Amino acid sequence: MGDIEDTHFETGDSGASATFPMQCSALRKNGFVMLKGRPCKIVEMSTSKTGKHGHAKVHLVGIDIFNGKKYEDICPSTHNMDVPHVKREDYQLTDISDDGYLTLMADNGDLREDLKIPDGDLGTQLRSDFDSGKELLCTVLKSCGEECVIAVKANTALDK
Amino acid sequence: MSDSAIQTLEAAAQILMAPPNLVTPEQRHQAESVFLEFRTTKNPYQLCREILEKSTSEYVLFEAAGLIKAGLIREWSLLSKEDTSSIREYLLNYLLRKENPPFVKERLLQTIAIIIKRGSVDDGGRERKALLAELEKIIVTPPISQQKLACSLILAIMQEFAITVKTADVGLIWEVHFRLKKSFETLNLKRIFRFTIGVLEQIMRSGHPPEGEQAMLTKQLISIMETILCWSHVSPLLSKRLIGAFEAIYESETAPALRLNMNWRDTIIKPEVIALFFELHIYVRSNPELTNPSLTCLVQLASLSGVVVSASNLKQQYLEHYVNNFLRMLSFIQPNHREMLGISEIYRRLIQFFTPTLIAGTPPAFLQYLTTYTCHCIRGSIIEEGLNEDTVLREALNKFLHTWSSLVHDVDGYTTETLQNPCIEVFNTYLQCRLAPPDGTRGLEAKDGCEEDIKDDIEEDERELHNEVLMTIGAMARKAPAHCCHLLFTLLQDRSKRLESQLQLMHTGKLPVSSADQLSMLFEDLHWILMIIGHFLSMDGSGEARTEANIPPELMRYSIRENANIDASLRYLVGETATQDNIDPIVKLIGLIIRINEWECAALEAGFGGVLSPELSATVSWLLKVWANSYLMLDPADYTEMSTVLECAFRQESEGAAWAVRRLAKRAGFVLKHLSAQPVAVKHVVQLLAHLAYAYPNRNQLANCEDFVALVAWEVSGNDLPGNVRKELHKVFARLASYTEGEAKNCLVASTAALQQKLLTLLNVQEDTEPVRTTLADILDCYCGISEGMLEIATMDEQVTMLFNALDKIPGIIFKYHNYPGVVLPALNLLAKSAKNAMHCQDQDIVNKFVDICHTTFEVYARWNSGKISSIPQDVEEEAYDDIIALMELVRWLSCGTGGSVHGGCARGLRLLLPLVTPSLLALPTLAHSAFRLLRDLEQADELTNLPIQDFNMVIAALRIGLTAVSSDVSTLCCETIGGLSNKAQAMGEDNRYSAALLSLAQLLLMLILKMEIPPDSIPAAGAAIYFLTCVRPSLLEGLARQVIEAFAANDPTNVPRLEDAFRLLTNGVLFDGYRPHKIRFQDNFDKFLSSVHGFLIVK
Repeated sequence: MGDIEDTHFETGDSGASATFPMQCSALRKNGFVMLKGRPCKIVEMSTSKTGKHGHAKVHLVGIDIFNGKKYEDICPSTHNMDVPHVKREDYQLTDISDDGYLTLMADNGDLREDLKIPDGDLGTQLRSDFDSGKELLCTVLKSCGEECVIAVKANTALDK
Repeated sequence: MSDSAIQTLEAAAQILMAPPNLVTPEQRHQAESVFLEFRTTKNPYQLCREILEKSTSEYVLFEAAGLIKAGLIREWSLLSKEDTSSIREYLLNYLLRKENPPFVKERLLQTIAIIIKRGSVDDGGRERKALLAELEKIIVTPPISQQKLACSLILAIMQEFAITVKTADVGLIWEVHFRLKKSFETLNLKRIFRFTIGVLEQIMRSGHPPEGEQAMLTKQLISIMETILCWSHVSPLLSKRLIGAFEAIYESETAPALRLNMNWRDTIIKPEVIALFFELHIYVRSNPELTNPSLTCLVQLASLSGVVVSASNLKQQYLEHYVNNFLRMLSFIQPNHREMLGISEIYRRLIQFFTPTLIAGTPPAFLQYLTTYTCHCIRGSIIEEGLNEDTVLREALNKFLHTWSSLVHDVDGYTTETLQNPCIEVFNTYLQCRLAPPDGTRGLEAKDGCEEDIKDDIEEDERELHNEVLMTIGAMARKAPAHCCHLLFTLLQDRSKRLESQLQLMHTGKLPVSSADQLSMLFEDLHWILMIIGHFLSMDGSGEARTEANIPPELMRYSIRENANIDASLRYLVGETATQDNIDPIVKLIGLIIRINEWECAALEAGFGGVLSPELSATVSWLLKVWANSYLMLDPADYTEMSTVLECAFRQESEGAAWAVRRLAKRAGFVLKHLSAQPVAVKHVVQLLAHLAYAYPNRNQLANCEDFVALVAWEVSGNDLPGNVRKELHKVFARLASYTEGEAKNCLVASTAALQQKLLTLLNVQEDTEPVRTTLADILDCYCGISEGMLEIATMDEQVTMLFNALDKIPGIIFKYHNYPGVVLPALNLLAKSAKNAMHCQDQDIVNKFVDICHTTFEVYARWNSGKISSIPQDVEEEAYDDIIALMELVRWLSCGTGGSVHGGCARGLRLLLPLVTPSLLALPTLAHSAFRLLRDLEQADELTNLPIQDFNMVIAALRIGLTAVSSDVSTLCCETIGGLSNKAQAMGEDNRYSAALLSLAQLLLMLILKMEIPPDSIPAAGAAIYFLTCVRPSLLEGLARQVIEAFAANDPTNVPRLEDAFRLLTNGVLFDGYRPHKIRFQDNFDKFLSSVHGFLIVK
């Protein structure tokens, strides 16, 4: 990691780069990295060498943060890798439209209606919890121009 | 009727054995249920006889054999002596006249053995003796098939009597098993031994080669011998636990020593008996199947000990006979690989069981063979390393080296003069095998290419992998220090000069940098020479153990003997002169190593980091650490004799020591900067630095080094090092800060201050971006290092204040970054790692402050994480997993604290954790182990019974899951927790809500025990838990017994009286008062209860 004062922090919003470079050896397990062009969470990191007296290579195994697919890559430890800007933001769920779009409210009150109800068990749970009148908080994951709801929880914050 | 039954069984067997495409799953299922029902048949002996006589299906025969065995165990007490004898006679007769597949035969033989063993309980071994006599007669008369069968039966019987603790034969309690084993030892074992020897002698004299059927018979006879010689003669004075441990050894690969009592003196000591075993080996060695058991016999005889040879002259005589026969055999054979392993084990055992003086008195050939074979195995094992297949010679080499290690360390054994030449021979051979041609032979065996010889797919650290072997090679080298020191110096000088000149050529552009591959030969040579030097200079290759006198005495004496010029030696050490006259040889070697360090640093600075070998760099760092551990800042008071040169060069406060520390600190800076992306190099240089920081608390030189100060400044200013390395560095800094004072300390504390400043800046940054989060995680990890590095938290000094400033920020960090596990986890880890020091602090204000931080953290964490549902379940589980482990560690440390707020903090943490630890998480073994250990510890800290009842119910639910876990640690922890809770519930009374919740576990626990679904190792804890639960409600056991009896009565009313009896015995004479004497009595009853109940309820 470069020095904090010297680093220009990209906001990850439109216009800015979706990724930033980082030396391979300084990547962290549970951190993020681009593998085969996809934003991934690093689940495994191991080093090997090119021959006994050679230099280290890093073997990375990552899980695509959007679809859970597994990717692998191997890279000399001195090289740079692209790290995606990843954002996870919480929104209050205010409505679900008939065609399956969510109405989400950000902390500052802005509304958005461009995300669909997620697939699978999470979607089913979300709908039934919403239908039973629970206040729900949705966590939206955003990276490399993609967005989706990845977690839901009952909004206990409202009571406090 | 039985004919139709046989037909049904055979049809079912056919379906079971049919390929999957020919039968439907329903048919298969139906066929299975036929056999499931068959296995429960009562009084099955007549039916089984008919099956054995009539059926042609091997599967049905196998099932019938199993049913007889199970039936006998289950119904033993209902059968008369005549019944069992007739079954036994029938089975033997059947086996003698009818050829069966081995798996059927084995089951039937085991059944006979079980009948014999159970019968011995009542008749004192009469039937057993008669049967053995009958078998002896069969063995000496052909046909050979019957002879073999009789041998197999003897083996089966011995097997049945050998094991007492983990025996499969349920139905007898351990004491009876053990008594039977002792009776068998006294009455039968020696007789079998003598008889077998006689038969083997006849076979050898007959002149038939060991081939075909004859070889099979011989093999069985040798196996009988092997079993007798490996028999664990356990003293009845030992506890059951210890005996269990002994018997586990018996079942493992290395048998226990042959410890015999007086009773054996007339048999085993006889010279002709020993001679016979050696002759036997020569006779059978051409047949690989017979070699292993016959070698085992020889190995066992090499470990003869105990009362049988208590008189020293007997021991000496025995050794003489043994060694003479052994040497005669060695002169006669060219050992193959398997035999080499046996021979190495024989050497090892002889050295282990006979005194050094006796060993030194053996003929010279004894040592000569040892030397030759060791060299042979060195060459062979290095070839094996390259092939990656067999490891026989490597194993043999390890055993030979084990022997050498004893020989070179025993003071009253061989003299140094005797050992010198053999040691040089072994040392030279090893060195040769590790070096490239022309000096060595490395890679000559490999067929293609010169690169093949350098193995690179090793996962383990090279320096640890070869540690054991090199330790002995080093110790042997020290027996001939002049030769070895000179040789190592010459080789090291030559290789380092060659490498240096290659690098020079590259630097001046005369050699292309791309030819770096050619350097690997030199790297590998240097790597090995340095590893050997490390083990030559120091007795401890890990460089961890710092004892008082670490310089090996042989080297100290060598240095004294050489009596070199002090001034010249010191000048050579620091590189002021290159002349090698009159220089202390040890100093000379060390000077050269430090010179290699110098040019490695220079090469790194010149930009050759990409050409140098990280592996070699690691080895240099390792060697410097090992050397520093023994020599640097030595204290003459630790030694009885002291070399003046070494003292002048390296004693505390000497110029030389300070100079060396500066060189090493400089090295650390260079390697970290230029090889930051090479984990192996970085790891070892950090270890070197840590050694310099930790090993000399009161006279630390490191903190005063300019280079070290620069390194601290460099680290704080930010760099590319991996997070875990930066954490280690901060740990070193923090530890050093607690050792130092004044200016040096200020510099170290300033490093923490700089880190704190970065943290604050970062938390004020408005943007929430990935680089911010990664930097934040790194800083939290560095703080974790600081926290681990602090020796203690005593007062709010500067360092502690800064730590708490960071801890204070944790709830806020978790709040802001709750969606980013990459930040939350390091934050939780920092808190967990700081908890130990904080909880041991005497200052209650500090403790309270820490607990407050934890409390807020728990609240924040709960707010964002309880009730959360995620899209990728396995992913979220994994994320939750690490968080939960860190939280559990934190709560466990909180429970160790004392004082008002601690209790509340701990309870809050536990309430947070309980809903998070879901059943699916508890299915993960490591998490389950931590979770249940936490519950047990919290129970002991009285935290559980203070929980609100709904939370307590969650604890009970978790225990319910834990009890059914397959791991014995987890179920033991659960039983211990239940026992502890019951003690407290007893005081609360049985009607209390907590007690009621706890008692709800009793039925599950008892059923698990009855069905043998609790791991065997947890049975004692489970018994204690049942006892303490009954103490809470005295009527508990009675009620449970009624329920169990009713449940079983539905299936099989005949079991009811036996169950009633068993339960009556269980509570017999026991008071449920919760005190130790009655608990112990209950556990004794419990053991008997289980062996009787399992005997008829469950037959596996």
